[in-house]
Amino acid sequence: MCDVCGCPSPGDHSHDHSHDGHSHGATPGRTVVDVHASLFAANDALAKSNREHFEESGLVALNLISSPGSGKTTLLEHTIEALKGEISIAVIEGDIETERDADRIRAKGVPAVQLTTGGACHLDASMIHRGFHQLQKETGGSKIDLLFIENVGNLVCPATFDLGEHERVVLVSVPEGPDKPAKYPKAFTSSQTFLITKTDLLPYFDFPVDEARAEALQLNHHLQVIDLCATKGGEGFEKWLNYLRELVAAMRAKSR
Amino acid sequence: MHEISLVQNLIQQLKELAAANNASRIISVTMEIGPLAGVVVDSFRFGFDIMSADDNLIRGAVLIVQTPEVSYRCSGCGAVMVTASARPEQCRQCGDKLLFAEGGDDLILRQIEME
Repeated sequence: MCDVCGCPSPGDHSHDHSHDGHSHGATPGRTVVDVHASLFAANDALAKSNREHFEESGLVALNLISSPGSGKTTLLEHTIEALKGEISIAVIEGDIETERDADRIRAKGVPAVQLTTGGACHLDASMIHRGFHQLQKETGGSKIDLLFIENVGNLVCPATFDLGEHERVVLVSVPEGPDKPAKYPKAFTSSQTFLITKTDLLPYFDFPVDEARAEALQLNHHLQVIDLCATKGGEGFEKWLNYLRELVAAMRAKSR
Repeated sequence: MHEISLVQNLIQQLKELAAANNASRIISVTMEIGPLAGVVVDSFRFGFDIMSADDNLIRGAVLIVQTPEVSYRCSGCGAVMVTASARPEQCRQCGDKLLFAEGGDDLILRQIEME
């Protein structure tokens, strides 16, 4: 059990299956037990409790997933600037080492918690549970509207772990090439929004935006695709901000 | 390599189940790994071999991996393709590329044999 709030922790492993062993004519002395338990169940249960925490606090949580260097932190820096005074933002940063990303976010005047995984390639729900408590301590309980969770830069492993986020955003930058949805499908099938970033570099790279969009929609036809340049602003970036505004407004209406 | 975390989780469950059944040795473990679970079977096996070697209860246990089938339904003509191998590129009947997958996204501990 969590010693901060008493909510369930990964240690409180709960089973949705019976432990009654029954034999299927195995070798004498041996027992065969049918289990049928998902290995994702422990993480999913904790993710659900995270989501409940977030909703009790009236905040929207987004999980940002991409390769290293797609511009997640840069997008956050510019988003924080653009929404200053309008939406109160906090960030949980995931990296293998260093406080660098959290420092960049704090420099924008926004509370940030850095989770260093010490080698692990993804964040899981238990890390977010701890991170969120730490964040609440740092902010002294002041209201947060929008929590960004910046996952470890990796397009593979983070896709498997629900953190309790409300929506998942996957980013691909123009220099990475348009074939990422086809190569790393799970990140795209599990996301709600797909951002194509660094569109100011389109003149220098072969990145057919329409093709990338179509390929992503083939995997997940619910996906919202936005192409944007965070550093220069413009139409796509405005669309991104409006998407965030709508999410926050919906949560405010719900928790009123 | 998130497979290592998942194997850790599995070993924890194996220990609990062995204790609940008064078993001192696990002989085999049957896992169902969905093709869309985001889990690489070779990496999972590699993690299991390394981590089970460190544990008296599990050392030498055989890991049996089953691959469930996934249904892909064509958004155009409604045809259903069922396969445990790679995602079809397009509908076999009409060539439409928008296919909806169903199932095959879980990682399930099915059965344990122990003594």
